[in-house]
This record gives sequence, structure tokens and C-alpha cells, in this order.
Amino acid sequence: MTSNFIALRWAKRNLFGSFSDSTLSLICIVGCLWLLGSLSHWTFTTAQWSAVSDNIRVFMVGTYPSDLMWRPWASAALLSLLSGLSMGSIASAPRVLTLTLLGATIVGALAAYASGNISWSLSLACAALASLGWAAAGAWRSVRKGSAIAWAVGIASIAWLLAPAGMERWGGLLMSVLFTLLASVLSVPLGVALAFGRRSRYPSARLLCSAYIEIMRSLPLILVVYCIWIVMPLLMPSNPGPDLARGLIGFTLFFAAYVAEYVRSGLQSIPRGQVEAAQSLGLTPGQVNRDIVLPQAIRVVMPALVGNVLDIFNTVPLLFIIGMTDFLRAGQMVLVNPQSGNTTYEIYAFMFAVYLAMASLITYGARRLEARMAAGRT
Amino acid sequence: MTDRQLARAAYLCKQALIVAMAVGSVVWLAVLVRAGLLRNGIGFDMRFLWSVANFDISEGSLPTLAGLRPFSSTDTNGQALLVGFINTVKVSVLAIAASTVFGVLLGVARVSRNWLVKQLSFGLVEFLRNTPLLIQLVFWYFAVALKLPGLSDASVWLGGVILSQQGVFVPSVVAANGASLVAIWAVLGAVVLAAAAASHRGHRLALLVAAVLALGTSVALGFPFRLSAPHIEGLGVAGGIGLTPEFGALMVGLSVYTAAFIAEIVRGAILALPKGQWEAAAALGMSRRATFIDVVVPQVFRVVLPAFGNQYISLAKSTSLGIAIGFSDLFNVYGTVANQSGRSLEGVIIVMLAYLFLSWIISALVNMANGRLLKAGGAK
Repeated sequence: MTSNFIALRWAKRNLFGSFSDSTLSLICIVGCLWLLGSLSHWTFTTAQWSAVSDNIRVFMVGTYPSDLMWRPWASAALLSLLSGLSMGSIASAPRVLTLTLLGATIVGALAAYASGNISWSLSLACAALASLGWAAAGAWRSVRKGSAIAWAVGIASIAWLLAPAGMERWGGLLMSVLFTLLASVLSVPLGVALAFGRRSRYPSARLLCSAYIEIMRSLPLILVVYCIWIVMPLLMPSNPGPDLARGLIGFTLFFAAYVAEYVRSGLQSIPRGQVEAAQSLGLTPGQVNRDIVLPQAIRVVMPALVGNVLDIFNTVPLLFIIGMTDFLRAGQMVLVNPQSGNTTYEIYAFMFAVYLAMASLITYGARRLEARMAAGRT
Repeated sequence: MTDRQLARAAYLCKQALIVAMAVGSVVWLAVLVRAGLLRNGIGFDMRFLWSVANFDISEGSLPTLAGLRPFSSTDTNGQALLVGFINTVKVSVLAIAASTVFGVLLGVARVSRNWLVKQLSFGLVEFLRNTPLLIQLVFWYFAVALKLPGLSDASVWLGGVILSQQGVFVPSVVAANGASLVAIWAVLGAVVLAAAAASHRGHRLALLVAAVLALGTSVALGFPFRLSAPHIEGLGVAGGIGLTPEFGALMVGLSVYTAAFIAEIVRGAILALPKGQWEAAAALGMSRRATFIDVVVPQVFRVVLPAFGNQYISLAKSTSLGIAIGFSDLFNVYGTVANQSGRSLEGVIIVMLAYLFLSWIISALVNMANGRLLKAGGAK
């Protein structure tokens, strides 16, 4: 049987099985070809990508002062290294691959530096750090174990690095990513507490936690964020906190309700026998929850929690309501700039591409994590 | 006291403590907020709802005892919020209907045997689910709706649909001039009877005959309705129904986004059906299409409704993003009211209650529909 014949048979079965199937396939093929043709024509000839590259700083950091740019760059470098570490902890790759990647990015960064393109050189240096993290986490177990602490220290250092310009100047993709990380981390403890509260021995605690979760899940996020934003100055008139902190409180309170539901499903998946066995060993209820139930439950819901990170990332644009400049708003700032002229579609295409890339990264992470959990590894 | 009684007392004490802490923190927050408000020289009161709004709302109508009328700036803040709420409900209902139809089609395409259709729908669903709703909405508004040709250059599609920068105009049904009242009632009666025939099993034939008779009567009297197609007249459009670009963009954006989630639910439900069902139907000589319509679809719709309900609620909540493209939904109107009257906090409480009400109404309706469906299907 020739491969040609196999391809034909595949096409017959999957595309031209019946008359209506064939019609549908033909319409789709023609439509796709036309779409691909016009899209690639636009991408490679008509589109003025300079609208994106000229404004790349606004996209990445919003209105962060241009004379302090080394701070966002250092933060990006730290973030790359940490992401690389996490990638290495959940997705092991052959050492040849990671080391090749590391070498290639270093060479690329040096070449870009030699040709005088500093931004490219620095971006490739960040990529090199990411590959370094990936390789290191793949090679040493202790590095994998320490990644949680590394993240905590890293985020704190980034906040310290970016602080001098004032929190209200943080913006762009960097702010979106930082905000996502902070909100994802902060919503977990509250969510876990709510989940335990919802199955507490005390009916009053159950009622309160259930009411909180149900009400939060019935309200739009934008309303919760706005409400917190207007209430904070009333509670703390002397220092209502920067917009970023107020937005963070809103996001944390809102997403904790969703985390609580995920965690609850995880708690329910722990067999009753585990609790009984722990109790018969003389553990107190607190110890049972902390040492037996919670670690297993968290492991079960880890993929859902990573999905929650994606949800948070995709809702960060709502921060426009309290005047913050996230990635999307930065793009809109570029759009209203008269110099951007007639480049609406280029800018939207770029933003959609970035959002898709980030989402793919997070989804890939979640899938790897799920595979690891299924295999019973830590 | 025995140990048992002691434990019981401790339990009750802890209960009381939890309640006291909850009530205490709420009261404490309320006191702090009140003090904050007083410091700014304002008290907490709801009288702003009855004071004159002094702003206009670009779309929507106000229900009054004398029927619907446009909102005017001399109406009250409370009426303004009502107009916003009606706009929110309007866009929610239309988008829910559209997303269900589109989502089910997309979900069926996801399990199609046609490889190309399957891959295309997969790509579309993943794209929609993995990019923020807000960027999709602003894209639909700024990059699609506002890039349509102006009214003077707009062409008329399908004999009566105008897509233009000023909005979307579609034909509508209006009462013909000099139509007799009896004929109008006869048509309405025919519609009701036909609907009853569709849902009622017992007297289907009798109901259908009655519907046809009613329709015949109205035709004999001169059919009282006619289609009013929109046409460009001067600088505006006459006839038909007009949707503003904001409404159109929000509705399309929300429907398309939610459709992707509904498609995943439908796909999951279809794949969850035991394979034996398909095989049994094939053994009976049913075609794939007949199996799909008569075996798969009825079972799928029995399980997906609760999951659809969650998507409907999140759609209704997401209408609040209309503020980003200037649609006058509840949240947007609230923003204006709060700005004009300075009553942000009082307003936010009303708006929260309105969204809670909307979420719970949708949830109750879906539960009711689900219950009916289960009963109709004979399941317990």
C-alpha cells in the first residue's frame, strides 16, 4: 500500500464520507484557503508591524518612567528565571535540549548586543535565564524543592525593584503578570479557609461560608473590585493604599470563593478512611486537616488551581475600572495615539497573540502538572 | 455536669462565638464606613433615588404606567438605574438565546466526523476560551462595529439588514394601517394555539386545527401585520428595528464567547453517552444523522441544562463589561449616577442586589426548566 493511497483513504473517510460531508469539506477548504491567503498577505505585506515595535515599551511596562527602565528589565529577568525553574519542576526535558536552548539564547543575546540591538539582546538574555532555570531544575532535586521559596523571594524582590517609581506607574504586561501572580497566591489561603468553613462542624460557620461563596459567585468581578476601591478610602482615610493594592484585595476576595469551590471538591475526594485512620492514631482534628487531608486535597485540585491562574490573568484587564494600566489598556493607549494612525488590526493581532501565548503556557503547565499528579509524583 | 453536657456547652459556646464574631465584624465595618462617610460630610441615605438625574442615557426605554418612553434628563436617578437594569436584562436575554444556538452548533461540530470541521471548531473554541472576554468585546466594538461603513455608504443585505457604523438595522413586524382588531387577535390566538400544540401531547390535532382556523380568519379579514424593512432616509434610518453599535458589539461578543463554553459542555455530554447507544441504533439500521437527532440529542439536553445555567449566569454578570464600550447597562448607568450624586456606596449596594437578583432568577428559571425536562423525560 503506498502512502499516497493511505492519504486518499484517510481523506475519503474523514472529509468525503458522504455527499453532505463532501460539500461541507469543500466549503471549509475553500474558506480556509481564502482566509489563510488573505491573512498571510496582510501579515507579510500590508501590515505595519512598526506600530507594535515602536510602542513595545508601552505594551510591556505601561507608563513606567523611561529613565528607570533597568528596573523592569531586572524584574523580567527574575521572572524568566523563576518561570524556567517552575517549568523545569513540572516538565522535565532532555538535558541536551535545555542546554542547547541555553547556548543558543546566549549566543543570540551576544549577537544582538554586537549588532547594537539592546532590547533584543536583553530579551534573549531573559530567555537564556529561563532556559538556565529549566536546566537547573531538571538537574538538581534541591532546586525543584526550593522553587516555592524562590518564588516568594523573587516576587518580593521584584516589588522592591519596581517600587521607586511608585505603584501607580506600574503597568503593561509586567503589571498584568505580577498582579496575576499575587492574586493567585493570595486567594488560595482564604479559599482553603472558606472550603474548610463550608464543611465545618458548626452550622453557623457552614452558613456563613456558604453565603459568602454563593454571593461572591453571583456578583460580577468588576463590581466587587469597584466596590472595594470606593470602600477602602472610607475605612482607611489617612492611607487608602495604592490602586494596585485595592484591586488586589478585590480580586483576592472574589477569586477566593472560586478557589473554595475547587478545594471543596478536593476535600470531598479524600476517602473517609484516611480521616478515621488518622484519628485512631490520636491526631487532633486540626492535625488531621493540616497534615493528612489538606496536602492530598491540594494535590488533587492543583490543575484546577492553575486553571484559576488563567482565569485571573484573563480578567486582569477589568482593572481599567479603577484606572490601572494593564496590558490591554496599554494597547488601547497605543491605539488612541494619533501616531498609530491606521494600525488598529496590527495592534489587536499582537495583543491577541500575546494573550494566546500566555494562555498556552499556563494551560501547558496545568496539563503537565495533571500528568505528574496522575503518575503520583510530587 | 457530665462530660457529654460539658461538650455540648462548649459546642454551643463556640457556635455563639462564631455568630458573634461575624455579626461583630459586619457591625464594625459598618461603623467604620459610616465614620468615613461622616468625615467626608455625607450621611448614608437613599433619597438620591428620587432626585432628578440631570443626564441622558443613550439607549433604552423607561417603563411607565402609560407605556414605554425614552429616558429624559428630568427623570429620577432611580428611573435611570431601572433603564440600565432593563438594558442589562435585554442584552442578557438576547445573548443567552444566541449563545445557546451558536454554542450547540459549535459543540456538535466539535464531535463531527468531518476532520476539517472538527479541527476548525476546536481551534475556534480554544481561541475564544483562552483570550480575555474584555479584549474580545473591545475588538468587536472598536475594530468591527466602528469600522463598518457609514450609513450613507452602507449596503442593504438580504433585502432588509443594514450593517453600518451607526448601528445594525433589521426588519420588524408592525401592524398594518387600518388593520382590524379582530384580525390582530386572531393572529395572536393562532400563535398561542400553535405553541400549545407544540408543547402539549394530548390534544395536538385539535389545537393545530384551531390554530389554522384562527390564522385563516385573520387572512380573510386582511392580514393585519406587515414587515417593515429599514431604509435609509436622509441622515437616519426609517422602519425596522435599530440596534446601537454598542449593543450589537456587546451582544455578539458575549454570545460568541459564551458559545465556546456551551460548545464544550455539549461536546462533553455527547462524548459521555455510552458507545453502546450508537451501536444499538446502528444495529437497528438507523443512519448516523437519525441516531443523532432521535437518540443523542434528547439525552444530551437532559443533562446539559444545569451546566448551561452556570454559563447563563456568568454571561449575565459579564454584561457589566459593557461599560468598557459605552453600553448603558446597569453598571454603566450606576457609574454616571454615582458621579452626579456622589452616592457611590448606596448605589453599589443597589447594583449588587440587582445582580444577585438577576443571577438567582436565571438559576431558578434553569432549575424549573430542568425539572420539567426531567419530568417530561420520565426520569426521577
